Amino acid sequence: MTVTTASPGIERELSDIVGAANCIVDPGELRTYECDGLTGTRVRPRVVVLPATTEETAAVVRVARRYGLPIVPRGAGTGLSGGALPVAGCIVIGLSRMKRILAIDLENQRMRVQPGVINLDVSRAIAADGYYYAPDPSSQSICSIGGNIAENSGGAHCLKYGFTVNHVVGATIVTAEGEIVELGSAGADPLGYDLMAVLVGSEGLVGIVTEAVVRILRTPEATRTFFATFPSTDEAGACVSGIVAAGIVPAAVEMMDRLAIEAIVKATGVDWPLDVGAALLIDVDGTAAEADHTATRAVEIAQLSGALEVRTPRDARERQLMWKGRKSAFAAVGRISPNYYVQDGVIPRSEIGPVLREIAAAGARAGLRVANVFHAGDGNLHPLVLFDARVEGEEHAAEQVAGEILKICVRHGGSITGEHGVGADKAAYMGEIFNEADLETMNFVRCAFDPAVAFNPGKVFPTPRLCGDRPGTYVAHETEIAGTAGRG
Amino acid sequence: MTSQADDLRERLAPASVDEAAAMVRERAESGATFAFAGGGTELALGYEPERVDALLETTRLDRVVEYAPSDMVVSVEAGMTLAALQTTLAPQRQRLALDPALPERATIGGLLATNAFGPLRTRYGTLRDLIVGITIVRADGTLARGGGKVVKNVAGFDLPKLMVGSLGSLGLIVRATFRLHPMPERERWYEAGGLTAEGVRALCRSLIARRLEPAAVFARLEPGGSHYALAVLFEGFETGVDAQGASWLESANAAGAQIVDAGPEGVRIAAGAAHPRGPVRIRISVPPAAFVETHRDAVLPLGDCFEAECVAYPTTGTFLLGGFVRDGAGSRAVATIAAARAACEALGGSLVVADMDAALRGSVDPYGTLPQSFPIMRRLKERFDPGRRFNRGRFLGRL
Ligand SMILES: Cc1cc2nc3c(=O)[nH]c(=O)nc-3n(C[C@H](O)[C@H](O)[C@H](O)COP(=O)(O)OP(=O)(O)OC[C@H]3O[C@@H](n4cnc5c(N)ncnc54)[C@H](O)[C@@H]3O)c2cc1C
Repeated sequence: MTVTTASPGIERELSDIVGAANCIVDPGELRTYECDGLTGTRVRPRVVVLPATTEETAAVVRVARRYGLPIVPRGAGTGLSGGALPVAGCIVIGLSRMKRILAIDLENQRMRVQPGVINLDVSRAIAADGYYYAPDPSSQSICSIGGNIAENSGGAHCLKYGFTVNHVVGATIVTAEGEIVELGSAGADPLGYDLMAVLVGSEGLVGIVTEAVVRILRTPEATRTFFATFPSTDEAGACVSGIVAAGIVPAAVEMMDRLAIEAIVKATGVDWPLDVGAALLIDVDGTAAEADHTATRAVEIAQLSGALEVRTPRDARERQLMWKGRKSAFAAVGRISPNYYVQDGVIPRSEIGPVLREIAAAGARAGLRVANVFHAGDGNLHPLVLFDARVEGEEHAAEQVAGEILKICVRHGGSITGEHGVGADKAAYMGEIFNEADLETMNFVRCAFDPAVAFNPGKVFPTPRLCGDRPGTYVAHETEIAGTAGRG
Repeated sequence: MTSQADDLRERLAPASVDEAAAMVRERAESGATFAFAGGGTELALGYEPERVDALLETTRLDRVVEYAPSDMVVSVEAGMTLAALQTTLAPQRQRLALDPALPERATIGGLLATNAFGPLRTRYGTLRDLIVGITIVRADGTLARGGGKVVKNVAGFDLPKLMVGSLGSLGLIVRATFRLHPMPERERWYEAGGLTAEGVRALCRSLIARRLEPAAVFARLEPGGSHYALAVLFEGFETGVDAQGASWLESANAAGAQIVDAGPEGVRIAAGAAHPRGPVRIRISVPPAAFVETHRDAVLPLGDCFEAECVAYPTTGTFLLGGFVRDGAGSRAVATIAAARAACEALGGSLVVADMDAALRGSVDPYGTLPQSFPIMRRLKERFDPGRRFNRGRFLGRL
């Protein structure tokens, strides 16, 4: 039997749990959920369910499992690697309605939040008390904590403060069996294996986060910001290395190349010079004395490295403008190119200069421009490959260049992703950095959590993998037993 | 340790990572069980292994695999001692920001397997925050890697962090890669004595209120068992360190603490002072705000039974006790540990008995109540080591 729309049985059971309004089957409404921030690939899910509680989420998972539907968790849908991309016939569980802050514990510097809480809202809730949540992806005003956990998201200030994995200490998850399990503990050293380390960055493969406990930090006493321009990315790269070699750990070091600067100036009107090869936006923070000292040193190093100009903001408003320029870079590039492909790769910090030249050459060979705006302090590149989808073959060429960029990163000893995740987009590249045994070992982890591969199948791993003790696709098998759905 | 000695058939000391893998692989067919040893500083942690056919020592795996000073990343073999690693890094004025006990003996693999730490965790976290890559030998003798050699990387599951604290029960750690930190231009310790538990907590709150950023904070229970001396380390560039020190002295003075020393060198506290030793060692982990309750309901009662040093890391909520059972207190020890553990668990934390004397072993559980997520942990063990060949029965839940 082949059923192509949700059978009434599933729909009824799901809407009994979450209410009809939160169980979406209308093809028009489903369109919103066909992709995440990686908009080039679209798959229509069978049904989208928006639970309001942990218990509802668990009940939904149990129904989905009973009917053998693959499950794709979804946060705010801003992911750039197709992590929330539906798979054929799946149920998407969207966490966007679960956006309450549950508890603020300043004494222990922890906060308990639901997964749909927007990243920036965590910091906002405690700003008046002088605290903040450190991981700050550029998408922080639109992405969710659940998505951040799944992707182990980073941000400009992760250079000094670490990534999501260093700031999420506990979670409530719904497992593939539909059970509710607490991970982590109120103490700093939970007993047993570090399951939080597995959960963070697991891209929706091991469980659905329905509550998270995050660590919050005291806002530093002082932050000093400066903006420096350079003749080329070589000098800018040397400046980054020089600052680090001087024993300074800046809070953030962001680099923009000529094309990125041009786009940002066009889009935001910041008064940055256009006739430069590269710019760095640097934050140092800490106690006032420390921040003043390190800022002075860092500026000296920028000048020694060949900076054309160094600007320091006069006040908080000017500082905000500089950062607004940086954080709007992706959107800004949309102003200078009808389409672009966002790549995310990592290289050793000391290789920035040579790698950017190789990337430019790869773009030039394909007749495409590449803009760079990235977290230079930790070597996390974001080359944006510009193309025009209306021109026959350009999109394909851009994808080729983006792929080549990853190989360049790998050749230089880096990684295929620093923060956007593997998702559906880069699964095929996992083999560039991991061999069969490495991948098999990672699959041990997945199988310990989800032996039936019900959560986010087809993501992360390059080839479909099963879990040893159940030969055959468990998902398909269950479906047939239930007799209610097939694969068409 | 008797059962180990009875079963032990061979001692292995591979000279290379490949040889280590081959040794495990060659013995896979026979189902031989393994225990692992590095510097031998934490072999008592966990349950006594059920059976050990082969003891594999990592001490010959002691090479630096790759050191890139400009990237502040180092890869080393697991048998290298921490002290040797620090010596390698020192000429570049870099370090692994970790200060556990016995760095001369403790090996990288052992430190990772036991998740060892010292006061620097206040600022730099534990090894889970420093590791970026790992190579393990699996129970089937296959070499497998996770992570990489760049500080930022989200490709695949985080095997490096999963191995931290896994006590060799999932795989034999043979290589690891870490992010490094600069050696500070200046380090300065300050110590304030005569503080009650409430006083320690209040001072720690004032550190936060004043937005100070200490690299290390630890409180040592003073003789008599009711007051603490609080040691604080500021490090970084000279101007910043001095300014922080001055601010801290001000708040300590205001709190009526006795400042032991504030000279330019500060109080250079011997590394050992932060790591209580002894035949019985206890590690408590609680929410930091529960400092006073933990002192009252766990530390004081334990002090009645044990002649023990106690060091707390108040900003992370960690208490370490080390010592021995007081004369005549033997009959009470088991019940006292149980009561202290119950108090810690009620606060949402745990009490681990990391080492114990023969009299206690058998009647005291090292870990206490299993976490709700334990079934997942068991399934991890089943996937990684279905034959239970590695450290059989030693880990939480006798995995
Ligand atoms: C303009 C722009 C800038 C960006 N800048 C950055 C940046 O600086 N740094 C960075 O790291 N990323 C950045 N991103 C990428 C993206 O915002 C992050 O990956 C973010 O964490 C995704 O969150 P989300 O809520 O949108 O998750 P989604 O896109 O909805 O989902 C992402 C993944 O998480 C899973 N997931 C979502 N919620 C849950 C849950 N509750 N439980 C389990 N799994 C779940 C999904 O299955 C999917 O695999 C940027 C994106 C955009 C569009």
